[in-house]
Amino acid sequence: MSQQLSQERVSVWGVRQQRVIVRFSGRAIIWCAMVVLMGIPIAWIMESGATDVFLEATRPDFEKIPVGIVGIANVGGAGASEGRMAVGTRIEEVLKADLRRSQIFSLVDLTGLGVKASELGSEPHLAFKQVAELGASVVVWGKAGIKAEGNETDVHMEAYVYDVGSDELVGGKRYVGSPSVVRLMAHRFADELVFRYTGEPGIARTKIAYVAEQGSARELFVMDYDGHDPRQITADGFLNLMPRWSPDRRFLVFTAYRQRNTQTIDIIELATGKRSTLVSQGGLNITPALSPDGNFLAFASSREGNSELYRMDTRTKVVQRLTVHAAGDLSPTWSPSGRELAFVSDRSGGPQVFLMSADGTNVRRLTFEGDYNAAPAWSPRGNWIAYICRTPKKEYKLCLITPDGQKRVQLTTGPGVDDSPSWSPDGRHLVFSSTMDGKSHIYMINADGKDLERITHSGTHNSAPAWSPAL
Amino acid sequence: MMTRMQAMIGVPLMVGSSLIMIMVGCATKSVRSGGNMPLSQGEERETGQAVQDLSFSERHGGGEEGLRGLDKNPSEERVGNTVLMAKSDPSSAARQVDEIRVEQASTAAAELRDVFFAFDSFVITEEGRQALSRNAQWLKANQGAQLKIEGHCDERGTSAYNLVLGEKRAKAARNYLVELGVSPSQLLVVSYGKERPFCKEHEESCYAQNRRAHMVVRGNR
Repeated sequence: MSQQLSQERVSVWGVRQQRVIVRFSGRAIIWCAMVVLMGIPIAWIMESGATDVFLEATRPDFEKIPVGIVGIANVGGAGASEGRMAVGTRIEEVLKADLRRSQIFSLVDLTGLGVKASELGSEPHLAFKQVAELGASVVVWGKAGIKAEGNETDVHMEAYVYDVGSDELVGGKRYVGSPSVVRLMAHRFADELVFRYTGEPGIARTKIAYVAEQGSARELFVMDYDGHDPRQITADGFLNLMPRWSPDRRFLVFTAYRQRNTQTIDIIELATGKRSTLVSQGGLNITPALSPDGNFLAFASSREGNSELYRMDTRTKVVQRLTVHAAGDLSPTWSPSGRELAFVSDRSGGPQVFLMSADGTNVRRLTFEGDYNAAPAWSPRGNWIAYICRTPKKEYKLCLITPDGQKRVQLTTGPGVDDSPSWSPDGRHLVFSSTMDGKSHIYMINADGKDLERITHSGTHNSAPAWSPAL
Repeated sequence: MMTRMQAMIGVPLMVGSSLIMIMVGCATKSVRSGGNMPLSQGEERETGQAVQDLSFSERHGGGEEGLRGLDKNPSEERVGNTVLMAKSDPSSAARQVDEIRVEQASTAAAELRDVFFAFDSFVITEEGRQALSRNAQWLKANQGAQLKIEGHCDERGTSAYNLVLGEKRAKAARNYLVELGVSPSQLLVVSYGKERPFCKEHEESCYAQNRRAHMVVRGNR
C-alpha cells in the first residue's frame, strides 16, 4: 500500500540533490497531520476524497543533467548502404533524440574538445577532464558496426559513460542484435542512462498503440514511442477503436464491431495475434480500461438502455454496474492506486469529468469550467488528470486538472481538434491526436506544455494513441 | 553522510509514513474469495462465448528485457524486440468490403432518406420527421426487410463522446420510426461516432453531412 523511495545522488557538478517521493493512501486528516509533523515546505498535491495521494519533494530548480556525446563511431563495414546512414551515426541520432526527450538530460556540444569517438576505446580520454569547461557533467562515447559471420549478420554496439565530477568511468554496455533492432539498442542505452541517474526505467523503449485509417477501415497499430517502426495489429477491414494496454504490455483491449453491426470489447495478445471477446452484450461497448493491477476491466456499455459504466472482474468475469443515471457515462480512467475512477458524464448537460470510487460510490463532479470536458486520462503519478476541454472559441484542446480540482492548465492552443490524451509511464509526457495540421496525427507534448512534437507523418488518419506501461 | 537538512526531511518522513502505513494497513484490508462466487444483486457474468483466461504477468515484459545496469566491464547483451508482435492477417478485410458493397446496393434501391442533426444535438428536426415518415412507409411495405440505423457525428468533439452521441441520434430515429408504427424487430441501431465520416473536409458544409442517422438496408430476414 505504501512505499517510500528516497534517492540521494551527488551530481557531477558537486550539487547534492535529494528527491523524495512518498506514495501512500489514507485520509486527509492523516495527510494534514503528516504535513504538520514534517514542518517543512514541500510541493504537494492532494486529491479530494484523499484516497490516493502522491507527495513529491523535488528541488524546484531541478536542472537537467548536461551530457556531452562525443559520438558513436562507425566501425568496420558499419552497414552504410544506399540512402542509409551507417549504424553508428543512426544510433547516435536516436540516442540524442531520446536523451533530449527524457527531460532528465540536456545535450552539450563537445566538438570543441577535439576528440573523435573513433579514437576511443573503453577508457576515458584525458581530455575529458576539461569537459566541465564546456558545461558537460557526463560524457558518452561508443562505436557500432555490422559483422557478417556465415549467414548471420549482426549489429554490434558498445558505449561508455564517464562522470566528470567523480572523474571516473561509470560503466558501459555492449549490445548485439539483428540489423532490425538498431534503434532499439539506442533506446535501451538511453534508458540505462536515465535509470542510472534517476532510478526510473525511462521511456525510450515504450510503445504507443493507436488507430490508423486503412482505406475506409480503421485498424490498430503499435509503434515505438518516437513514432518509428509501426506494426499493424488488426486487419478486420472495419473499425477497431480506442486501444488500451494491459499492465504487463502483452495485450491490448479495444472496441471492435462484430459484423459491423454490434460493438464488442475484445482483447488481443500482441505476440500471437490471438484474439477473443470480453464484452458483447448490448449496443454500445466502448472505452475499455484495465485497472493498474489488471484485476478489473472498466468500460461503458448501453446494454441496459443508455451508456453506463461497468467493471468486470478479469478472473471471475463477473460484471458489476457502477453508475446508475439516465445520462451517458463513459471513458473511465483509473487512478494509479486503482481505488478511484475519473469518467465522463453528461448528467449536468454537456459532458463533464467526474470522479468516483472504484465501486461506483462517492460520485462527484471535477470539471466546472466550460460546457464540454471529456476524454480524461489519470497520470501514472496521480497528480494530474489530462482531458479535452472545449474553449470559449469552440476549440477542443488539451487540458490538465489536479484531482482536487484546485489547479487547471490548458496545454495546447490554436485550431484543430485535440483528442485522446494518454500519459507516458513516467508522467512527464502526453501523447494525443490532433487535426492541428489538417489530417489527424499523433503528437507528443511535455506535461508542462513544452516541446510539442508530431510523431506520425504518414497515413490519412492516425488517432486514439495509448502509451504502454514502462518495462 | 546525512546533512542536517536531509535529516530534517528524511526522518520525519520515515516516521510519518510508517505511522500512516500502520493506520491505513488496518483500515483497508478486505477479503474476497476467488473462483466462482455467487453473484450478488446487480452482478452478472459475461457469457455467450469462451472468454479467454486473463492472467497478466507479475513482472512487466519478463526479466530478459529488464535493464541490467551500466558495467565497468560490460558483457555482451543480445537485444531483441521488447514487444513481440504477430503479423496481422488482412484476408477478412476484403470480405468486409464486399459485404459493405452489397449493403450499399440494396440501400440505394430502397431510396431511403437519412436524418440530419444540428451540432451537439440528437433532436429530430421537421425535415428529419418527413424523411422518417417516408422510411416508415417503405418498412411497412417491406416487412421482411431489416433496417440498420447508423449514428454518425462530425469530427468536432472527442471520439468516445461522439460514439455516445451517435447512439443517441440512431436511437432517436429508431424511436420515431417505432412511434410511426414500424415493428421494432425490423430495426437495429449502431453508432459509428466520428469514425466513418461521409465527408472529410474541415468545414461546416461537411460537418452537416456527417451529423446524421444513416439508413442501411440489411436485406430480407
